[in-house]
Amino acid sequence: MINAPKITRRKFIISTAAAGGGLALGLSIPFGSSLVHAADGSPEINAWVVVRPDDTVVVRIARSEMGQGTLTGLAQMVAEELECDWSRVTTEYPTPGQNVARKRIWGDFGTGGSRGIRTSHDYVRKGGAAARMMLVQAAANAWKVPASECSAANSVITHQPSGRTTTYGKVADAAGKLEAPKDVALKDPKDWKIIGKPLKRLDTIDKLTGKQVYGADLKLPGMLNAAIKDCPIFGGKVKRFDAAKAERMPGVKKIVRVGDSAIVVVADTWWQAKTALDAIAIEWDGGANAKVSSASIAGMLKEGLSAEQAFVHNQNGDAKAAIAGAAKKIEAVYAYPFQNHATMEPMNATALYTADRCEVWCPTQNGEAALAATAAASGLPVAQCDVHKLHLGGGFGRRGFTDSVRQAVQIAKQMPGTPVKLLWSREEDMLHGMYHPVMQAKLTGALDASGNLAGMHIRLSGQSILSAVRPEAMDKGKDPFAFQGFWPSGEHSLEYTIPNLLVDHAMRNTHVPPGFWRGVNINQNAIFLECFMDELAHAAGQDALEFRRKLMAKHPKSLAVLNAVADKGGWGKPAAPGVHRGLAHFRAFGSYVAACAEISVSGGNKVKIHRIVAATDTGYAVNPAQIERQIAGSFVYGLSALFNQECTVKDGRMEQDNFHTYDSMRIAQMPKVESLIMPSGGFWGGVGEPTICVAAPAVLNAFFAATGKRIRTFPLKNHGITMV
Amino acid sequence: MKRRKFQSSTRNLQSFARREFLLAAGGIAAGIALESATTAAAAAEPASATAAAMHAAIRKVVGTARVNPGKVTLELPPLIENGNSVPLAVRVDSPMTQADHVKAIHVFSEKNPLPNVASFFLGPRAGRASVATRVRLADTQTVVAICELSDGSFWSGSASVVVTISACLEAL
Repeated sequence: MINAPKITRRKFIISTAAAGGGLALGLSIPFGSSLVHAADGSPEINAWVVVRPDDTVVVRIARSEMGQGTLTGLAQMVAEELECDWSRVTTEYPTPGQNVARKRIWGDFGTGGSRGIRTSHDYVRKGGAAARMMLVQAAANAWKVPASECSAANSVITHQPSGRTTTYGKVADAAGKLEAPKDVALKDPKDWKIIGKPLKRLDTIDKLTGKQVYGADLKLPGMLNAAIKDCPIFGGKVKRFDAAKAERMPGVKKIVRVGDSAIVVVADTWWQAKTALDAIAIEWDGGANAKVSSASIAGMLKEGLSAEQAFVHNQNGDAKAAIAGAAKKIEAVYAYPFQNHATMEPMNATALYTADRCEVWCPTQNGEAALAATAAASGLPVAQCDVHKLHLGGGFGRRGFTDSVRQAVQIAKQMPGTPVKLLWSREEDMLHGMYHPVMQAKLTGALDASGNLAGMHIRLSGQSILSAVRPEAMDKGKDPFAFQGFWPSGEHSLEYTIPNLLVDHAMRNTHVPPGFWRGVNINQNAIFLECFMDELAHAAGQDALEFRRKLMAKHPKSLAVLNAVADKGGWGKPAAPGVHRGLAHFRAFGSYVAACAEISVSGGNKVKIHRIVAATDTGYAVNPAQIERQIAGSFVYGLSALFNQECTVKDGRMEQDNFHTYDSMRIAQMPKVESLIMPSGGFWGGVGEPTICVAAPAVLNAFFAATGKRIRTFPLKNHGITMV
Repeated sequence: MKRRKFQSSTRNLQSFARREFLLAAGGIAAGIALESATTAAAAAEPASATAAAMHAAIRKVVGTARVNPGKVTLELPPLIENGNSVPLAVRVDSPMTQADHVKAIHVFSEKNPLPNVASFFLGPRAGRASVATRVRLADTQTVVAICELSDGSFWSGSASVVVTISACLEAL
């Protein structure tokens, strides 16, 4: 259970008055003492593990829980090495301010790219192991026996020769004073008792009972509520506004501006703020992009499909020559739209600003980024700021961005001493996304006389995320991220051996702010490639599975997951009448994923997805039950997008401003998902995102099998195709 | 003494033969000793190509002279969200007289594609050896500032910055 902040008024005043060094809430580190105490006085064994006198263990979690289960997975890994009683494990988020003050002792707080487990497993396990060694040593010291004669299990330390026992709680104080061990050995995975088990999540109960506090729920003493409208045309400004009526409305305390593009009403309650905000007549100055539309963007991208200049990220042989000399040439153009994360909890942040301190409470995928944003927006040094992380009501990549944090701080700065909660309306959230970028692709394949793939050119044309978000990570102007799943090697590698290959990207950026939408570019890249592979197989008169297998001899792990779903999906065996199958596989975020979908189509356009067999090889599987849920959940996200979702631009702004025009699939439409979790060991691949990309192409390939129609532009509702 | 506010200027950098700062991929120059605590930590890390490039760039400026830790205070925020625009300030403890002043302040990066970030050229009329600007930093790293005094000696200071990456990216 997460240690949810219980803020009484007295504690709130005390903590905000104590101005020292970012540690006011939480830890006390007495000067000169090596023993650190948590807020309740319990000793830290090390930064990762606090042990209470009653043997409860508090595991420190640096990453952010947003439903993906990373909180539980990280705790499992610490507990495994710690040899504590799993039923007494609870978790706690250190603040990013504490991380900075303690020289980044918890490392990176960033939670994205399906990295939470795979980039921290080593050091969190070592943290648990080191704490265990110190607890055992403390007991051994008290008994005056060698630590090598002692063992630990379930929070109990036993001196083997004498049978004496003690518990972690009793030796915690002494253990916390010991020096950390230099050499920490980790268990062999075959000895894992907690990692790899389908354990219940630690945060479910609080969600069910309503005890879980999300940013949108937060109530602080004396808090006011703020509603905001930022110019819906990206890059535009406020031209003029008339707030005379709003100022007189009930509960309204102040009307402020944020930057030159946003108007905010601060009131007693959020509904009062929102109602008053709607009563403000705002005239926007759309700026340079007021005439941009999806049509104008599509025209720009279409030009890129045949442009001379493009960034190349994977090539071998001579694709153009192979295509020119092909016995049979197949070409197809695909297009994928902008998407919005549409998290269930809209963007929000609560900020309290005074002249010497600024604190923020928010859901964030990167506590350190939120802290940096707080410092920048408040103008105060980092040491005088801190951020209290709350669980996220959905993240999916949206909450790695700190725009709402900056806004909240800028509002709070205009009302010093008063905590202000800024909560976006659903409309504001839909209109101010960090959108999955728009992309088109022209795929050209060359078949030789025997129907083998002799060459392929994939030309991508569309928006780069990095050029807007992190230009310093670009490679001489190229955005490697646009090529996810097409890399020559690495965690997003192309899993086919194709002679004469060219994969290039004509970068066409728009004024729409881009961001990382769960899976990022694998969503469209998997559709582009895996649907086109089916087109090639069909043109060659070959079975879709066989056509792929011939190109995967050097990609055994991908072949394994593809074969697994084909096998369980019954590929090659007759399906029930009216049922058709489609396949897809991809490599993303280090993992190998595949899907086989079974659908039937009635009336040519009503699609019933009966089941999807999915396989993932993540190297190691920390919690198989959680992985199953992530697979199914990723299919909800990916299939909703495939069938129902796009964000279209008109007059410089997004058109979709609520769920009536951006619908999600419903539970009755959800197929049966059969998950094959096949960790082959030796590497750590991600879970949160990879599988999202295979459901759509598998379903699309099944749709072709059912109807003979190849759909290449999305969402499917635009073709009158619906999920039933 | 008339005090003139010193404006950071990049024109001097361009007139300073840029080629001097470009370097062939070379190993870490022998003998360099940057002994402040944070750079010692940075030096203890496996020498990446860019850390080696920084050391070589520093060598090009100081030659065979010894770099003494001290006198230079480099101020960077410990945490920054946007590596494109990081506020940076360097102050050198110096009376800035004709006899004893700072001639130049050079800022180096261990992770940027090019190791030299900025060079400031001062004289006694600058009044104070204190410069501030915004720089681009590619990643979490230690930044080093080296000043050259009128007596030909070199002094250094350093600071570490964590550049938070927008959650969904690893270091590409």
